[in-house]
Amino acid sequence: MHELLLFASVPAHQHHELLQQLAGLTAMQPRHRLERRLIFKAYRKPGLINTRVGASQDLQGNEMQRLNKMLNGGMFYTQVVGSVSEADFGAQLSTAPSGDPDAPMSGTDSGAKFENRPYSYESQPWKLEFRDIPEAGTRSAVTTRLMASASLPRGDITTPMNAWGYSFVTEYVVEGDVFILNDIVIFLHRVLHYPAESPGSHEPRRQLPPFQQMTPLEKTGSYVLQASIAVQDGGNQEMMKTASQHLFGLREQLKSAVRLEQADRLSLDTRAK
Amino acid sequence: MAAPTHEQLKTLEQSRQRLVQLTRSLASLITSLNQSDPLPSWSSLQSQASIISNNLLSVSDHLSDNRDLLTSLVAYPGPDYPGRTQANTLEQLLRTKLDPRVEDWVARGRKAGVSALEDRSGLAEAELAELWDWAPVEANQEARRRNWGGNYTLEEREMGVQNVVTGLARVLEDEGSESEEEDEEEGEDDEMEIVGVRRQSAGAGFEFDIAPASAAQHHQQKTVEPAVPLEDILRFMTTGAEPGKR
Repeated sequence: MHELLLFASVPAHQHHELLQQLAGLTAMQPRHRLERRLIFKAYRKPGLINTRVGASQDLQGNEMQRLNKMLNGGMFYTQVVGSVSEADFGAQLSTAPSGDPDAPMSGTDSGAKFENRPYSYESQPWKLEFRDIPEAGTRSAVTTRLMASASLPRGDITTPMNAWGYSFVTEYVVEGDVFILNDIVIFLHRVLHYPAESPGSHEPRRQLPPFQQMTPLEKTGSYVLQASIAVQDGGNQEMMKTASQHLFGLREQLKSAVRLEQADRLSLDTRAK
Repeated sequence: MAAPTHEQLKTLEQSRQRLVQLTRSLASLITSLNQSDPLPSWSSLQSQASIISNNLLSVSDHLSDNRDLLTSLVAYPGPDYPGRTQANTLEQLLRTKLDPRVEDWVARGRKAGVSALEDRSGLAEAELAELWDWAPVEANQEARRRNWGGNYTLEEREMGVQNVVTGLARVLEDEGSESEEEDEEEGEDDEMEIVGVRRQSAGAGFEFDIAPASAAQHHQQKTVEPAVPLEDILRFMTTGAEPGKR
């Protein structure tokens, strides 16, 4: 799958107005969306790099090299996305009075799971979203990149991700509204930080803080407008062209409100160095 | 049983022609759906659909017009038919029961037809037509009786604007009653903030020029441009690199 994108920065004061404009343009009410996003980074497993020892010239060399390339060649940042709802935030407020803040973390809480607990990390569904670095040297003025998504098992995701050679980097919450206009998905969103980043914890949170304590990454509260089209067959030039023309059409329609642009390619660089 | 007359042969030939047309337009729809990439535009799909429905109509008209003839016709092999070599074709020609697959289609079609006929809860055709004849005229008359240009009707204003359920989150302005209030407000602000400027008249155009001081401040506060550039936000979203720390 390929993804074609245009971005725009939306100042906070324009957010409400733009929501209205988009609702009018797309003839739909915004779909509010809250997502936890965990960033994972591929790492080199020790013992895999030092395969080329000495100047051995055996016939396996070629195959070995190829294998090596496959294992170590492309290393990327990947995102694991789980959608949550506003009610999930501040869940520990309800569990804290029980005097056992560790309860949800231990494996013995299977009984408690069926209580009316707003957020359960164990049953959080996840989706793996891989995005390649945007294609270079395209003459078209849209950002194009390879994308792939896959569903992941629910619950604790770090263990399987570690097994696949990915380590947890950081996490944040994306808050925003989605509109659909024909084949274009418009996502007006912003990044929220968790309060009081504790440097020691290096795994995803099991509970979410109250929503009010979340602070926007961008202090002035500005939003990012993202318009995207997913194309199943990226090799089909005709489809890619149609899709980017649709995006240009949207850019033209929104011209007086926001300036949709191609993103800086390196800012979307997902390669892990 | 006599051999069919010239007229009757012509009728049969016509049915064949129409069925051929129908299959052709169906086949062209199927190929265009299967092969064209991107999919054909909705307008072309619609025109193809209307061609097919016209073909269907003409077939069905033709069949019902010649019902008497077609039901009385019987096919049987003549003595000179090569029954031994062309047995398959012969079976096809003499077959009176439908293909099981086709039988299913027919059953489904009949069922759909029956359920469509049963759906009689709505208005009858004539009643609908009558309604549509009546509605535009009546709506127009109703519209002419009112004085347009405000957010509220006269009845609503008499009842009290605050009681009206608009279903909107924002508060609608009511020009009629609001102008006096705003004038007063405006007047105070003028005196407090802008000494040199006086209200020339009860000036309606004037009140928009000077926003209340608090609103102006608020506005200023709100129009702060984003401090973090878009690139940094995107970079954080993809790799978790904090803005400014690269």
